[in-house]
Amino acid sequence: MILTDEQRDALGEFINIAFSRTASSLSQITGQRVLLDVPQVEIYPIEEVASNLDRFLPGDVASIHQPFDGAIAGDAFLILNYEGAVRLTDLLTDGSTAQTKLDESSREVLTEVGNILLNACLGMFGNVLRVRVSFSVPSLHLESLESLMDSLREEHENLQYAIIVYTSFRIKETQVTGYLVLVLSIVSLNRLIEEIERWEQRHEDQIHITG
Amino acid sequence: MESLVDDPNTSYFETATSRWISDHAPTGILVTDTSLTIRYCNKWVVKQTGKKEDDIVGHRLLSVFPEIEMRGLAHYYRAALKGESHVLSFRLHKYLLQMPVNRGAPLVDQMQQSCRIAPLLDGEIVTGTITIIEDVTERTARERELRSQLGERERLLASELEARRLAEENSRLKDEFLATVSHEIRAPLNAIRGWTLILRGGSVDKETFDHALDTIDRNVVSQSQVIEDLLDISRMVTGQMKLEFRPVDLCESIESALDDLSPAAVTKEIRLIKTISPAASIVSGDGDRIRQILWNLISNAIKFTPAKGTVEVILHGDEDFAEVTVRDNGSGIPPEFQPFVFDRFRQADGGMKRRHGGLGLGLSIVKSLVEMHGGTVSVESGGEGAGTAFSVRIPRLLGRRDDEISEMADSFSNSAQPLKMLNCRIMIVDDDDDSREMLRILLSTRNAEVLAAGSAWEALAHFETFNPDIVISDLGMPEMDGYDLIRQIRTSLSKELSNVPAIALTGYVSADEQKRVKASGFDAHLSKPLDQTILVQTISDLLGGISR
Repeated sequence: MILTDEQRDALGEFINIAFSRTASSLSQITGQRVLLDVPQVEIYPIEEVASNLDRFLPGDVASIHQPFDGAIAGDAFLILNYEGAVRLTDLLTDGSTAQTKLDESSREVLTEVGNILLNACLGMFGNVLRVRVSFSVPSLHLESLESLMDSLREEHENLQYAIIVYTSFRIKETQVTGYLVLVLSIVSLNRLIEEIERWEQRHEDQIHITG
Repeated sequence: MESLVDDPNTSYFETATSRWISDHAPTGILVTDTSLTIRYCNKWVVKQTGKKEDDIVGHRLLSVFPEIEMRGLAHYYRAALKGESHVLSFRLHKYLLQMPVNRGAPLVDQMQQSCRIAPLLDGEIVTGTITIIEDVTERTARERELRSQLGERERLLASELEARRLAEENSRLKDEFLATVSHEIRAPLNAIRGWTLILRGGSVDKETFDHALDTIDRNVVSQSQVIEDLLDISRMVTGQMKLEFRPVDLCESIESALDDLSPAAVTKEIRLIKTISPAASIVSGDGDRIRQILWNLISNAIKFTPAKGTVEVILHGDEDFAEVTVRDNGSGIPPEFQPFVFDRFRQADGGMKRRHGGLGLGLSIVKSLVEMHGGTVSVESGGEGAGTAFSVRIPRLLGRRDDEISEMADSFSNSAQPLKMLNCRIMIVDDDDDSREMLRILLSTRNAEVLAAGSAWEALAHFETFNPDIVISDLGMPEMDGYDLIRQIRTSLSKELSNVPAIALTGYVSADEQKRVKASGFDAHLSKPLDQTILVQTISDLLGGISR
């Protein structure tokens, strides 16, 4: 599916807002200043996801998976490369031990971070787009990107598109790069774009009103 | 009447199963409605909180557990009512409800918890919230333990790697050192050999002849120094170096060292300056070694100062310490090297391209000797080209008045003796022809009557007829060695002859060997290569002790 430039821009703007809220809630929770770089948004058919992301995420990845349901349904992922995940966890918990493995407590922290980010994003559906969406408790997986996508395709035959948001966090001068991936059926994607356009319209109207 | 079990319309089994699972779950389960009133809690919650079920169910969540609001976690419930699920990791939140630890979990009072707070949904409608609480106290304790073990392992590894690096570095330095030693020993030998061959060739003019002897002598001296240094280090390392502590007058030691080195200074037109405060001059120490310390420092200063430079020796001190500073205005020591200046195998420019010869052991020997005197040595240098100052502090004699000290010093001091003539009969015993001949000629020039025996048998055979005033014998001889000889002299000869003073000559001798020499009947022992002055002095001393 090809988005028009305007649609792409609108989507981008939407994601931006979602992420700025995310940065502040992450900062609040962890007690540290978290800076999120301006996210870049792309859409791919699901078959192409692995190959597109592979160069940025070789080897095993840590992915926090949060399925969501409602008028817009699908799976949301926060994907980090393994070292990035370790570093992020350490930074957030003021880890003085430089860990190279993720123990259970660290995995939990990662899950929570993913949870916060994904909630912020998905929460926008409800708040801004006024679409009712509910999301489950997230789970953490450590595996290769390929197998992640494979298992996803196996579960849901009708999921066809992925919105990929490339973003990086900065905490205490360290940069951790990650991807937010929203995997949606074409129906849900259409609905999402529709709602975003409607939101844009409302936004413009408001500007006209306030002059 | 049908029971619930048989009624296909009820979800009895499903309900019964759910109930059983929640009751027996190893985690806490709390369910509220949309007004956040607790509608259900499982047995775990009752047990762990210590509250009664009636005090929990039917009451408002935030009233039963005020800690939720107090710790700022209430917003998770408001979020859940909007359909959001949340993870509360232990690391970031520590706990949700206040519950004490279970027995067996160490170090914390409060149970550490990992929680999930999620909406209960009926289709799209939120009907309440559900909270799952897991006790992770033990797990986190184990994780901490593991992490500290890993940390410990890493630290050990790092220190092992460092130790290995140091060992490899040391090994490299030693190799470099051995190469230097090899060169320093061979080079003089080459010179000596070369010139002796020239002399043998005959037909050399007087100038060349004198130069040859000069060179040979110089090289023997320098090689002896190299070997002495090596031996000193070896003795220090194996703990065999023994010092004899006596009152030592530093003024004299400084004079003596400056005298020795003034030819070298004159050659380079270096000015030697002496600044002495005599009040601070007496210390407790080994006179020879103190002279060695000063000699090393002044010699270095001369070596590293360019022609027409200055070397100053300053003596000052207080009641407790005497301090000697040797200052030059020469090439200085670069700051990166200063911490290593006293290290055993280091030279600032080691390796094949060295500008200054020698083994670089001098300073290391100085440091060890100073420390054996209970003192300290330090270096100051402004860097390349800025000159250097070495300072040695030695503790003074304690508990004695200055005049007592100076009396003691006088009676022990080695005053220089003029070239002595020995008008006596000396018997030499040595199986080595060259050594024997050399000694014979040397003693003859001092006006001694010499009998040179090539073996202990020969010596004993001629003993009575020659009637020597003193015997000088090599120890290491085939068949009958020096020990056998002295035993024979002391036990088998007539009374007048058996008391004859005897000097043993040896090569390298360990402390044990030295004891054996004295115990066996010799009166003194000297080591090769022989120092004329010492030999003559020893003979003179021994002869002076006998009334004939």
